[in-house]
Amino acid sequence: MSSDEPSPAALPEPVEDVHGDGRWMSQHTRFVQECKDAEPDVLFVGDSMIQLMRHHDIWRDLFSPLHALNFGIGGDTTCNVLWRLQNGELDNIKPKVVVLWVGTNNHQHSAEQVAEGVLAVARLLTSRLPRAKVIIMGLLPRGERPNPLREKNAAVNALLRARLPRPGPVLLLDAGAGLLAPDGSLSQRDMFDYLHLTAAGYAAVSKPLSDLLLQILEETPEEKRAPPVWAPPPPPGASLTAGAEEEECRRAHCVVVKLAWNLNDVLCFSPMSAVVPYAEQCESDG
Amino acid sequence: MSAGDSNPAATPTPCEDIQGDGRWMSLHNRFVSDSKDKEPDVLFVGDSLVQLMHQFGVWRELFSPLHALNFGIGGDATQHVLWRLSNGELDNISPKVVVLWVGTNNHGHSAEQICGGLLAIVQVVKNKLPNARILVLGILPRGKLPNPLRERNTQVNHLVAEAVSSLPHASFFSVDPGFVHCNGSISHQDMYDYLHLTPQAYQAVCQPLHAHLKSMLDKPAEI
Repeated sequence: MSSDEPSPAALPEPVEDVHGDGRWMSQHTRFVQECKDAEPDVLFVGDSMIQLMRHHDIWRDLFSPLHALNFGIGGDTTCNVLWRLQNGELDNIKPKVVVLWVGTNNHQHSAEQVAEGVLAVARLLTSRLPRAKVIIMGLLPRGERPNPLREKNAAVNALLRARLPRPGPVLLLDAGAGLLAPDGSLSQRDMFDYLHLTAAGYAAVSKPLSDLLLQILEETPEEKRAPPVWAPPPPPGASLTAGAEEEECRRAHCVVVKLAWNLNDVLCFSPMSAVVPYAEQCESDG
Repeated sequence: MSAGDSNPAATPTPCEDIQGDGRWMSLHNRFVSDSKDKEPDVLFVGDSLVQLMHQFGVWRELFSPLHALNFGIGGDATQHVLWRLSNGELDNISPKVVVLWVGTNNHGHSAEQICGGLLAIVQVVKNKLPNARILVLGILPRGKLPNPLRERNTQVNHLVAEAVSSLPHASFFSVDPGFVHCNGSISHQDMYDYLHLTPQAYQAVCQPLHAHLKSMLDKPAEI
């Protein structure tokens, strides 16, 4: 790990009650209580992208049957999620998979800092839940048309792709490419405010996630693996994509998932298609 | 009474693009464009409580059949809605009813200021749509337990109900089915974050609202 100061996005911090109705702490307290009573196989944690999932049909149809808990809070940054997980939201539960979706609200931080924040959350999860897999959801594009936040979110995803240990228990699932029209615009049909997903947007994004979850949950739990070796941050000026190209599928609408326990096969997901081996799906690529 | 300069809640103010992706303006522009293309009988305008209504089945079931448009933007306070309605969102349409639901995001403003903001919006709607009736919805309680914002919102509702009672073209309507239980708490089954409504809570809010709108639409306006 880098000997530099930790990223500010990796420092745990609760949300301050500036409005005066204590809603953030009320939600956190409720989640801690849920940990006492529930035995989830899947834990979803993050910001509004996770929270709002709960109220659409995909939750009832795809995720609730997997015995899932939803610990999403709108507006949360990596700092807030880190604090919540360190302060009770992982107590007494042993999920087999954690789905983590956070980072788009880290407005005070650079892409590099945000990536380090997301990785800090993943490290906490793998250390507290050594037998669990973690699925990091890539940050989606935002804003109606190309803008600096899209570049930033894409840079965070690229950094995550480069730094996740391979093989390892932490995977990146990037479902964003399928949402962009050829002219680079986002449609209100998928994101009603160019940030939050509609029911249709959630349906598109949830399919590859659901497929991956089912695959993981079907794996046998007895698996010995070496502790993950986390890649250090690249030196300043280094290419963001160093080491990632061999794993990257450039076909539009593809997401790349690395399954660490499956002989380093790289599986290529299109939001609309079933899982197929990489060689079959992408052999036409240059 | 002109309180525009001294009341920030009644001073038209666009939302500043602090984050850098221009989403607020994208939404406003889309609403202006909708106003050019569509002919709603009912226009809903306000904050996230309006906006999110559009994302659940309740909209399709109850309000699409009334030919309704939804101009809600999450985070908006009265001054933002005032700006939007003064800058194109009311042009080229003539709805029979405008449903206004905003005020809970006016942080730092007093109940009197928020009431002033709502009345300023009512005035703009009356100026631009002289034949429309305005239905001002009560702002809901928030927070899991009693807190100052609940008191503020209740006070806003009292002030607004009184102020519009003398206006022929506007009326106040409470949509709170009783979210606060006897022990003072609000359930997460109704408000998953003690502010925003679950689909089941939207049903409880929207059924009476739909019935009231239907009765307004079926009856011609009193002169």
